[in-house]
Amino acid sequence: MHRKSIILKCLSVVSIVVLLGGCAGMMTKPTQKNFKAPVVTLDSMEVVHAFGYWYFSKKVEPTKGKPDNVGAPLNLAFIFNVENPNDYPVKMENLKFTIAFEEFDLNTVSSTETMWIPACKTNQVRVNAHFDVRQSLLSLLVTGGFKLKEKGTNVWAQLEKWWTEIPQYSVPVHVKGGAAVFKADGLTKVTTFEATFPE
Amino acid sequence: MGKDYALGIAEAIHYVNDNGGINGKQIKLYQFDYGYRIPEALTKYNLFKRLKCVAILGWGTGDTEALAPTVARDKIPYVSASYSGHLCKPAKTPYNLFFATDYSTQSRGLITAWFDKKWPQKPDYGKRKPRIAMCYMTASAFSSASIKAAKEQAEILGFEIGPDQSVSLFAIDTKSQILALKEFKPDVLLHTNTVMSVAATLRDAYALGLGADHLIKCWGYDENLPKLAGKAAEGAMGCAPWAFFGLDVPLMDKVVEYAKKYNPGVPLEKRTIHTVQAWASVLGLAEALKRADKAGDLSGEGILRKGFETMKDFEIGLGIAPVTYTATDHRGQSQAKIT
Repeated sequence: MHRKSIILKCLSVVSIVVLLGGCAGMMTKPTQKNFKAPVVTLDSMEVVHAFGYWYFSKKVEPTKGKPDNVGAPLNLAFIFNVENPNDYPVKMENLKFTIAFEEFDLNTVSSTETMWIPACKTNQVRVNAHFDVRQSLLSLLVTGGFKLKEKGTNVWAQLEKWWTEIPQYSVPVHVKGGAAVFKADGLTKVTTFEATFPE
Repeated sequence: MGKDYALGIAEAIHYVNDNGGINGKQIKLYQFDYGYRIPEALTKYNLFKRLKCVAILGWGTGDTEALAPTVARDKIPYVSASYSGHLCKPAKTPYNLFFATDYSTQSRGLITAWFDKKWPQKPDYGKRKPRIAMCYMTASAFSSASIKAAKEQAEILGFEIGPDQSVSLFAIDTKSQILALKEFKPDVLLHTNTVMSVAATLRDAYALGLGADHLIKCWGYDENLPKLAGKAAEGAMGCAPWAFFGLDVPLMDKVVEYAKKYNPGVPLEKRTIHTVQAWASVLGLAEALKRADKAGDLSGEGILRKGFETMKDFEIGLGIAPVTYTATDHRGQSQAKIT
């Protein structure tokens, strides 16, 4: 009887420790010490819309509308898992990252919608990124000329490769310099993340 | 360049908010990459209006020029990173402002500094006129914005002006332009393009033995120039209205601290002066907002008249010269910092 009582007491203590220290426990007040950085990981990347590869300079008369320098759009969506390891809710205020096709940084996008993540739960956030041949052409030409030359290619060949192969998920798309800002009771944590899809 | 500027904008807004915001009001930042697509810049502007944004931090010549008449009509202050001198005339573009030395003043300052400091050291000094030529993309409003002012200044100082060389903003090979200049034998070249194109021109001038000095406007003169041009960049003079990233000037400790805090995934060695110039734009705008708010008028006109136009020798820090705006002159600075 005495032995059973000791075992029960031990189990109770263990249970209380588990309840206080882990995600199954009661909600605690956020402090600088107990505020753990949420974890952001790329779940997947989706080619939302692909329109093939084409480019018209403004010298070309369109069937309707005004001529302009325009190229095929390519719309991607990045779906992130945002895991809150704390036993209190946290608010995500901002998430941003740079997108690189192979080794070329082409776009920086962000999500500024605030999101509450419940204690010990994982939310998902989708961030859309628009690319088009014109915008990427300018980006490559202004900053990437030397790198393209070193790579033994040219800007048009590179763009055609991306616009035809990314919809097949055969070219790696990189998420770089990612940072998400989290708040809990006035405290701030910044989580960094990087990823490649397909890996 | 744009990426580093955008990171700096967001970090500086965090800093302003962490330090009391606009007299206790927190700033809400909406930030978009318009990818140099002007129609998208116009669309985003319409969104900002719908969201009742009190001011806009813009970017380059494209969006700034396209939106200048609209922001004037709507009376929305537009602080951009396009520093064309013609944006400084309140009669034409009253709501366009910036915290930098305008391109014309930069070019005049560069030519004058070379004339005062470098020309007297040349063997031909006193024997003939100094010779200058200009390398820029003639079809670009951005590149050619200060060429007229530069030529006027060169004429005043008695330069012989050589043939303009059209160098694309996207150039990685400028040998034909350098060969064309060899006959003129310039003592100095003025470059007004962005850094990759300037680096290509410096490299080719060095390789082909042109022997000229180089003067470079702010967008061609950043931390990437020595990386891209190597030895060819040695001795080049440039106009950098702000301090380079990490230099020991007031508030730089905060710039570095917030870069580390909010973008720890971006290595500090990749950060540049463009972050610093973004901070100057944000801190300058924040000061205007605080002054207008204190005067009880956060309307666009209030921000302009009771905010910006009350700044007299306002010290931002960050290595930028004191800023003064008046109702008749929106050139924030009349001095160019040449290094």
